[in-house]
Amino acid sequence: MLKVMIVDNNRDRTKSLKQSLLDTGYEVIAHLKDTVNLEGACCELQPDVVIIDTDSPSRDTLENLCVMSMHHPRPVVMFTHDGDKEKIKTATQAGVCAYVVGTIPSERLTPVIDAAVARFEEFKHLRAELAMAKTQLDERKIIERAKGLLMKQRNLDEEEAYSLLRSMAMKKNMKLADLSNQLIEAASMLIV
Amino acid sequence: MSKEVKPESTLIDMTSVTEAVGAETQSVDASRRNFFKHSIAGAFGAAAMMNMMPAGIRSMAYAAGSDAPEITEVKIGFIPLTDCAPIVVAAEMGFDKKYGIKITPSKEASWAGVRDKVVNGELHAAHVLYGLMYGVQMGIGGQQKDMAVLMALNHNGQGITLSTQLKDKGVKDGKTLKRVMANENRDFTFAQTFPTGTHAMWLNYWLAANGIDPVKDVKNIVVPPPQMVANMRIGNMDGYCVGEPWNARAIYDKVGYTVATSQDIWADHPEKVLGTTADFVAKNPNTARAMMMAILEASKYIDATANRAKVAELISGKSYVNAPKDVILGRFLGDYDNGNGKKWKDPNYMKFYDDGKVPFPYISDGMWFLTQHKRWGMLKSDPDYLGIAKKVNQVELYKQAASQLGVSVPKSEMRSSKLMDGIVWDGSNPAAYASAFKIKA
Repeated sequence: MLKVMIVDNNRDRTKSLKQSLLDTGYEVIAHLKDTVNLEGACCELQPDVVIIDTDSPSRDTLENLCVMSMHHPRPVVMFTHDGDKEKIKTATQAGVCAYVVGTIPSERLTPVIDAAVARFEEFKHLRAELAMAKTQLDERKIIERAKGLLMKQRNLDEEEAYSLLRSMAMKKNMKLADLSNQLIEAASMLIV
Repeated sequence: MSKEVKPESTLIDMTSVTEAVGAETQSVDASRRNFFKHSIAGAFGAAAMMNMMPAGIRSMAYAAGSDAPEITEVKIGFIPLTDCAPIVVAAEMGFDKKYGIKITPSKEASWAGVRDKVVNGELHAAHVLYGLMYGVQMGIGGQQKDMAVLMALNHNGQGITLSTQLKDKGVKDGKTLKRVMANENRDFTFAQTFPTGTHAMWLNYWLAANGIDPVKDVKNIVVPPPQMVANMRIGNMDGYCVGEPWNARAIYDKVGYTVATSQDIWADHPEKVLGTTADFVAKNPNTARAMMMAILEASKYIDATANRAKVAELISGKSYVNAPKDVILGRFLGDYDNGNGKKWKDPNYMKFYDDGKVPFPYISDGMWFLTQHKRWGMLKSDPDYLGIAKKVNQVELYKQAASQLGVSVPKSEMRSSKLMDGIVWDGSNPAAYASAFKIKA
């Protein structure tokens, strides 16, 4: 059984990856949040595979083990040594990086990488969705404020204010939210 | 504008351009150099100038044919450190546009990430540790890939920080550190930034020159630069070697002090380079040259003392170094305070240009990192030091870029320096140099 160590400060992602690895029959021996004692954990727990975010600063700590382990019996090497190019590309695009100890046949390694890629992509997707939802919410708030301003300044009702805002945006070829933003900024200067 | 080019000026261009291709680029005379400064670098930019010439003449300029950049948008990776300034300045101040390219700086989290992204083409080039480039070239700890050092980005400006606890025990230099280490029966932990990189080499060199074996006598770990100070605060290590501003930051945060600067170890030592792959240079020589010209001009700009405050302000931002401007500026101007009662004006502070001496990719500098990789056992046997350095360091391409800007080029591709232990390195006899050190792996 392969012993997998996960280094990730995203707790939710770690949790789902861990579950999915356990389901496929792998042993997850540790999940670490950051560099503090990463080296100690590697020496002590001796994982076969370390899964880490490509953009994690802790990667350089693992690199040190790669080089230093030339003198030690436990080599840690990047999985890009062998293994097919397409797979590596998919993994790096998803943000997954794996350090492999010793030589593990690719048919044993592949499911681990696949599980990690799937989880990382899922999280990337979720994050993008969240960011979009947040922008939309922010935009709506801004439009509401601009509408409120127009209602007060020009003595309009809500519907009138909205259609005025919309026709201005269309005339200026601007997004409703952008125009609202300008309006609020201009108003704040005038009022102060 | 192109209609106004007079035949005479085209003639001057051509002679200079032919010179740029020839081997003897050193002898560009002063008046022509001035002409270049004012016309090419100043008014329109080399790329624009070259485009005015008929295609036939242009193809004479470079064997590759047109000098137009093959790729016009380049992504250059950097790590948040003071010496990433040339990349940021080239992009932010528009020096890139003068040479027909757009540079997008890309902040990276680790040197391993920088390496992987350069190797697989996600980044076109990067602000990168000199030693790392040679580590990848030699396949140390990872996949081998032919690399290219386009130019050096800076000299000096790194340092070794020790914890406040060691200060309280009276450690003020390497000798006193050795004494304290001998008295205390425990592991001493030192951090650097990347196993084959420059900081590992400065730390090892300094410890060894003080009689401390960096392999046997201390525990060696790697910590990402922006996390050094936090790790020292929680007592994870006794000392570290890193680039500025992270040594100044330790003093500012009162967790450590500077026991040695990297320029104490080797005055005007090589440090970061503009690095890419050999493949990239083979496919995009014109883009590579354009990047070099834009960054050369940025380096020259940064080296003017009058511009440094502005540059410090620029790079201190969240998207770049993300540290208070004042923490960056002091040492950036050469105003040193070691946090242990000593203040001085350092003549060997972080330099970026120094009349063309900094950016030149000296062959002997590249070879030096190979000698240290051999010294510390990362290379099992002596490599072809000279052959490899000549392949990696793009001296000819650099000379073309430099001559177009009128940047002076050193006469020799080798330089001679005396390091802190009195040993001279001049690029001759590298195998003997690497094996002569008393302390080695």
